[in-house]
Amino acid sequence: MNTIFWMIIQVLAVIAIAPLFDGIARIIRAKMQSRVGPPDMFQTYRDLAKLFTRNKTVPKYSHWVFRYAPYMLFATTAAMLAAIPVTYSTNFNGGVISDIFVLIYLGALFRFVFGVASMDSGSPFAAIGGSREQMVGVFVEPVMIICLIVVMLLAKTSNLVEIQYMVKHGEIGYQIPAFAVASIALLWAVYVESGRNPYDLAEAEQELQEGLLSEYCAGDLALSHMALTIKQFAMIGLFLSVFEPWNFENPILALVTFIVKTGVFYVAAVFIDNLGPRYKLLKGFKRESSFVLIVAFISLILYAVGV
Amino acid sequence: MEMVYALYLLGAFVSIILYKENRVAGKIGFSIAAVASAIGVFHFLLSIGSNETLEIGGNFLFHPHFALDPLGKFFSFVISLISLASSIYSIQYADEYSKKGSIGVMAFLFNAFILSMLLVVASANVFWFMVFWELMTLVSYLLICFNDDEKSLKATVIYMGIAHLGGAMIMAAFLLLAKSSGSMEFAEFNITNLTPLSASIIFLLAFVGFGSKAGMFPIHVWLPKAHPAAPSNVSALMSGIMIKVAIFGIIKFCLWLPVMSWWGILILAIGALSALLGVLYALTQHDYKALLAYHSVENIGIILLGLGTGVYGLATHSPVLASIGFLGGLYHVLNHATFKGLLFLGAGSVLYTTHTKDMEILGGLAKKMPYTAFAFLIGAMAITALPPLNGFVSEWLTYQAMLQAALGDGVLYRLAFTLSIVALALTGALAVMCFVKVYSVIFGGAPRDKKIFEKAKEAPLSMIIGMFVLVVGCFAFGLGATTVVDNIMQVVHTFGGNYTAVKSGAIASPLGSIVSTPMIAVILMSMLALPFILIVMSINNKTTKNTVRETEPWACGFKYSPRMQMTASPFTGSLRKIMDWLFRADAKVIDQGYFKPVKYENHAKDIWWNIFYAPFIKIVSACSNKAQGFQNGNSNLYVLYVLAALCIFVGIGYLI
Repeated sequence: MNTIFWMIIQVLAVIAIAPLFDGIARIIRAKMQSRVGPPDMFQTYRDLAKLFTRNKTVPKYSHWVFRYAPYMLFATTAAMLAAIPVTYSTNFNGGVISDIFVLIYLGALFRFVFGVASMDSGSPFAAIGGSREQMVGVFVEPVMIICLIVVMLLAKTSNLVEIQYMVKHGEIGYQIPAFAVASIALLWAVYVESGRNPYDLAEAEQELQEGLLSEYCAGDLALSHMALTIKQFAMIGLFLSVFEPWNFENPILALVTFIVKTGVFYVAAVFIDNLGPRYKLLKGFKRESSFVLIVAFISLILYAVGV
Repeated sequence: MEMVYALYLLGAFVSIILYKENRVAGKIGFSIAAVASAIGVFHFLLSIGSNETLEIGGNFLFHPHFALDPLGKFFSFVISLISLASSIYSIQYADEYSKKGSIGVMAFLFNAFILSMLLVVASANVFWFMVFWELMTLVSYLLICFNDDEKSLKATVIYMGIAHLGGAMIMAAFLLLAKSSGSMEFAEFNITNLTPLSASIIFLLAFVGFGSKAGMFPIHVWLPKAHPAAPSNVSALMSGIMIKVAIFGIIKFCLWLPVMSWWGILILAIGALSALLGVLYALTQHDYKALLAYHSVENIGIILLGLGTGVYGLATHSPVLASIGFLGGLYHVLNHATFKGLLFLGAGSVLYTTHTKDMEILGGLAKKMPYTAFAFLIGAMAITALPPLNGFVSEWLTYQAMLQAALGDGVLYRLAFTLSIVALALTGALAVMCFVKVYSVIFGGAPRDKKIFEKAKEAPLSMIIGMFVLVVGCFAFGLGATTVVDNIMQVVHTFGGNYTAVKSGAIASPLGSIVSTPMIAVILMSMLALPFILIVMSINNKTTKNTVRETEPWACGFKYSPRMQMTASPFTGSLRKIMDWLFRADAKVIDQGYFKPVKYENHAKDIWWNIFYAPFIKIVSACSNKAQGFQNGNSNLYVLYVLAALCIFVGIGYLI
């Protein structure tokens, strides 16, 4: 029960702080694009608060799957975040949820709800967004699983709490070449999963991954936005808890450090986002995923031959 | 156990006797099947850990003798469970066929089909196994024939062809095994005088023979043709349990024979290939029943991944690895039966009311048939292994088994197991895409064909009850995973090693990884509460009226038309583009003049047909053309043939 309590606390804390980092990222992005941008870093809070007060509109062809999807998306991403062992980093029984496969399949649940809702809206743009989200999954899943297999095999468990503990105490880590190579490929996978340029562009909603959002409004839109932000934090959190788990054992301190660490990554991603080129979705993936896949395979082979 | 079998037999005969009262016969026949299955479910579940035997008379020339060990009990349970749902469903579904054929006959065959599957699992010697095995094939063949159009006839012929080949191989495997042990009784099989080579030959024969029934790659071609051709209640049985009976055969042979580690790797490789190719071909289908059939190929692949690991564990004398492998495989047998049965029943309800198998002209059906839509959604989420439903648990166990096997020594073994994990993960991602497509194209969005949509209505009560039996199954086997694992471990530890698979309310792998689906459900539910609180808080605000306005979807300022929305093929368009080296689709663009819409067709080909089957078919038909000369219709000549054959056999008998 204690673990569940801490899980909920950690989700609440991230939800409360995440819009702040989003605000900072927006200011930086605006500066880089020579725009004025939001007045201060609390703009995202104001946006969300305003959205919650608006009336709702839904496409008339949709049924309850579309209408309750934002809640489901929110719950799924929040559960993903809860599965990152931050505040309960010494309680191995937290592994009943904090398991790598649970995390991956919660991601699949997210994609499923996202896809079904986008098709259900009846809107052509939303459906294209849903279809692309599935393609992203197809490209990212192999890379991600290969990297995580290497980690799981080195740690001999899929319990994320234990893996984090082992890396923290140096039982496995960058001294093992396979681990180091895997971290590179996983970083790419995490970046793509967090929905950024060149793989996604949240500002051009009608043509890319987040096309679904074009059919939502008011509280639903706010919830979906929050879900996407939480997902980014969860994905960055996954990377950090496996490859950079250094943190305090005290839950509160650990939570603060975690939020700062993920926040820094979240904001830093803006630079890749804005300085990188844009590709058509398939072209971009073909160019880069094959390269990353090779990197991931190298780490797998390094493990297999026992280096 | 006698009572269950006797009830099915009773159901079969009552319905055939009453065949003149067509509708009544069906109702009674299917009801008896439902009662028998319900008794079967409880009987087999409660006695899962014990052995049971049954003898019918001793005065026959060859006295029938059946035995159920825990493994057989487990499979009997799975068979009864799906039969329960399917027979309740059939009570009203069969009305659909009242004009096409006799429902009484259908109920007779339906009962006989279930009974023959139960008896295959219970057979204790080669003779009865083969008799009921072939009976199962024949009865299912007749059941497919209820939809007699040209396509389904072709499907049944392909089905029979491959079933014959498989049957012959199984027979050969059995005879070789029986010869070396000097007995046809399963209990007396012994392997002491088998050389590794002959053991491998027997294994390969049995693996390919049973695999042809299970629908593993590359002998899967009949499955996506025959399963959709059958009436949906029968498809649920065929895809849900008939192919599992073949899995039962493979397990049996692996337990009899002195297993070798490369057998495990072979099963694993075939499993990984089946899983990937099954889901890739499923993605390109427009016919939702064929799509589900391809998913059976995929899921058989996943089951084989678990079994392969288990066999590898047996071969390398690591009983704990064997038990987690078999645990994953058997759990997935149960799960796949549950959700695939559910999905086929759901598909049957859609077919019942829309009379089309093409999903491109459906849409928006969730508004007309909410219960079916809900059941189908749960089935779709279970088959894509989303937590906390049942599919997730078995895939988790399979992953754990393969992880543990990949820890062993040997670079090649490590690579084989890790690549299989990657294949399973990729299969998962593709399956999500596929089921998003199926569910939302059929049930979501705007109706694509107004006429069909207007006529559609919710399925009758018994069909909904039938589906919801399995919906409950999907939830129960997911959330009650620890109980299921406990029961399957009772089966597995009779041949594998024993380890504590359930630790303080969570499922544990031998490596020490733990997972608990109820906990995941608790977290999901508590996270679900949060947005509701946010919404309620904002509703108190005075500016918000709690009304939801319905509008047309946004279409860039144009007037919205349902034709604008996404259909099934563009949804998977980019995937098909990058996988074209496999699909070899020939896209056709048909211009029908200025005033009509351009037609665009793009159908993926199953290239394996041309590689593995077309050459054989060519040779066979060439040979039969040559052999035509013998068949001149003159009966005297036929008598001569008979005589000649007799002389040859006498000669052979004399020589030996």
